[in-house]
Amino acid sequence: MSDVVIAGAGPAGLTAAYELAKLGKTSTILEADQQVGGISRTVNYQGYRFDIGGHRFFSKIQLVNDLWDEMLNEEFLMRPRMSRIHYRGRFFDYPLKAGNALLGLGPIETVRIGCSYAKYKLWPTQPENTFEQWVCNRFGRRLFEIFFKTYTEKVWGIPCGEISADWAAQRIKNLSLTEALRNAILGDGKSKDGQVITTLIDKFKYPRLGPGMMWENCEQSLNSRGNPTLRGIRIEKFRHRNGRVESALGRNVQGEQIEYDGDDFLSTMPLRELIHSFDPLPPAEVIRAADGLRYRDFLTVVLIVKRADLFPDNWIYIHSSDVKMGRIQNYKNWSPEMVPDPTRSSLGLEYFLWDTDDLWNWDDQRLIELGRQECVKLGLIEPDEVEDGTVVRMKKAYPIYDQAYPEHLATVRRYLDTFKNLQTIGRNGQHRYNNQDHSMLTGVYAARNITGQEYDIWAVNVEKDYHEEERKPSDRMVPGRVETDEPSLPTPEQLIQAALAKLDPVALGVASGVVCGLGIFIVSAILLLRGGEEVGPTLSLLGHYLIGYKVSWPGALIGLVESAILGYILGYGCAWLSNFFTKAYAFAAKWRAEASQTRDLLERLR
Amino acid sequence: MTDEQSVDRAHIEYEITRAVARLKAVVLGMVIGLIAGVGLFAMTAVLIIDGGPDAGIHLQLLGNFFPGYSVTWPGAVIGFFWAFVCGGVIGFAIGRVYNRVVDIRQR
Repeated sequence: MSDVVIAGAGPAGLTAAYELAKLGKTSTILEADQQVGGISRTVNYQGYRFDIGGHRFFSKIQLVNDLWDEMLNEEFLMRPRMSRIHYRGRFFDYPLKAGNALLGLGPIETVRIGCSYAKYKLWPTQPENTFEQWVCNRFGRRLFEIFFKTYTEKVWGIPCGEISADWAAQRIKNLSLTEALRNAILGDGKSKDGQVITTLIDKFKYPRLGPGMMWENCEQSLNSRGNPTLRGIRIEKFRHRNGRVESALGRNVQGEQIEYDGDDFLSTMPLRELIHSFDPLPPAEVIRAADGLRYRDFLTVVLIVKRADLFPDNWIYIHSSDVKMGRIQNYKNWSPEMVPDPTRSSLGLEYFLWDTDDLWNWDDQRLIELGRQECVKLGLIEPDEVEDGTVVRMKKAYPIYDQAYPEHLATVRRYLDTFKNLQTIGRNGQHRYNNQDHSMLTGVYAARNITGQEYDIWAVNVEKDYHEEERKPSDRMVPGRVETDEPSLPTPEQLIQAALAKLDPVALGVASGVVCGLGIFIVSAILLLRGGEEVGPTLSLLGHYLIGYKVSWPGALIGLVESAILGYILGYGCAWLSNFFTKAYAFAAKWRAEASQTRDLLERLR
Repeated sequence: MTDEQSVDRAHIEYEITRAVARLKAVVLGMVIGLIAGVGLFAMTAVLIIDGGPDAGIHLQLLGNFFPGYSVTWPGAVIGFFWAFVCGGVIGFAIGRVYNRVVDIRQR
């Protein structure tokens, strides 16, 4: 019996086992598939390797970066990134560049885009309820239709008019003023911790033989330390009693049932399946909630093409509505070693589907033929260039964030929280659009929780600050600095607040008015007290500006009043101008930061 | 982002937008004093270097307020001192009065 039983050998499950081994705990991983890596696996077909989607290795989480280096060491390649959008037979740079997009679309379309943009800037749709409204308000309807509508609908299978605006807002952070200024100070595309925002990088790390290489290495390393991964074991039941899971009941490919006991359990299974596997079953409302969680399925048609070089991109977004595919991967450009024959290329044509769609159930040959025809239609290959092909279906690849999911997820979580020795991790274990690094982090935290630490797994991929590995009260003790009475350093928010604080125009006006008025009065008085034949002839020239002023006692009073008024106006004006330029700077910083985020909107939408 | 975080962020932004700057009177006094001092020294120096029979007849009048000041090199140094003091007092006064008015208006 292992200390921990883990359901699923994807990034979250394998990382959890890896961390547990470091912490001195044994584990057994049960994997339904015949291959490890989950959605981050690398499939091998006739020596041609391909990913389920593309997996760039770039993370803001240092702990994950360290883990990658630890698991793969020198097997990483540094690869250039290139991705474009294919629309109406043309390629457009991605992330979008205004000049390139407008040049490619032609002058008439450019004018239409400009008019549409202006219209939505002047009269935005309010309230902003749907994704369509959200994008139109920021880009105009024409750009929405060209660059967002078809692709988003292909990926998610839901009309843009029915997708909640919240979802777009979630993916594109509505930057706060402070964050925008922080970005402005640290540089565009940088986050609070000074690292470059993921999607904007032009290079990325990638394992020589694809991400699956890392997970196979990880599995081997675990096996060698007595932590087996058992492939082909589908978990049918989690037996539980008194708020504790006691065992996982699995069935192997031969149809035999095997029971696995453990002190703790981790599940990366889709929550819908997990809930149905509990024995005894949860209350009816929990089952109903779990059944309400939806998933988007993902199908890859791989074509082996008789050409050494097809196009320079790692992947291309396909926006044309006359083909069904959503994206094309060119695996050779991810790593040359993904293709065994240098005179050949392999393409992954990605279709985002429901498992109830006709296309999902087509036989492989029919799908390969569809892929070939679509590539020819897009002008990417010649009809006779396809040498071979294969199809990989990945069910439940994307958790769906529909209007009802927060409530369903909350119900399921409330039920799961009643278990003392079960944690759910990874993309499907949390029904959250976690990337590989997020999933790995949930695995690390779950493992640490088992050894008595207290990490909130559900905070991963929610709070940016959490990635900085904030320490919790129960973390291992480390040497710390002796506390002193020295005042603490101001927070960035306090500094920005101080930098952006407005001058009070009235106060500066009054101050300036008082000083000017008294100043004129005092210098006049000094001259008057000194006396002489002709008192203050030069100072009297101020009478040109201060009506009625001359160096005399009544003149000094007139000068006091008038220069106080002028001083007030001067002070007020200076404060107003200073505030105006400060505000303009803050607005420009926020606009720049938001623009840099919206440039890569597409990538954030899947 | 959780509701609590949104509220916190909105609160921070609200605080930033309503924050009113305070002036550091001493610093403002030093700055205005230095500008005035260096300014008068430079103006005096330019006139001395230019030379001529009527050099600095108008600037010389500052001697009415700054004892010892004249358009000469020693006068330039004395003028620096007096202008620094005078500018310092003006800057300090503006800072103090401004802060006082802000306090009154924020009560």
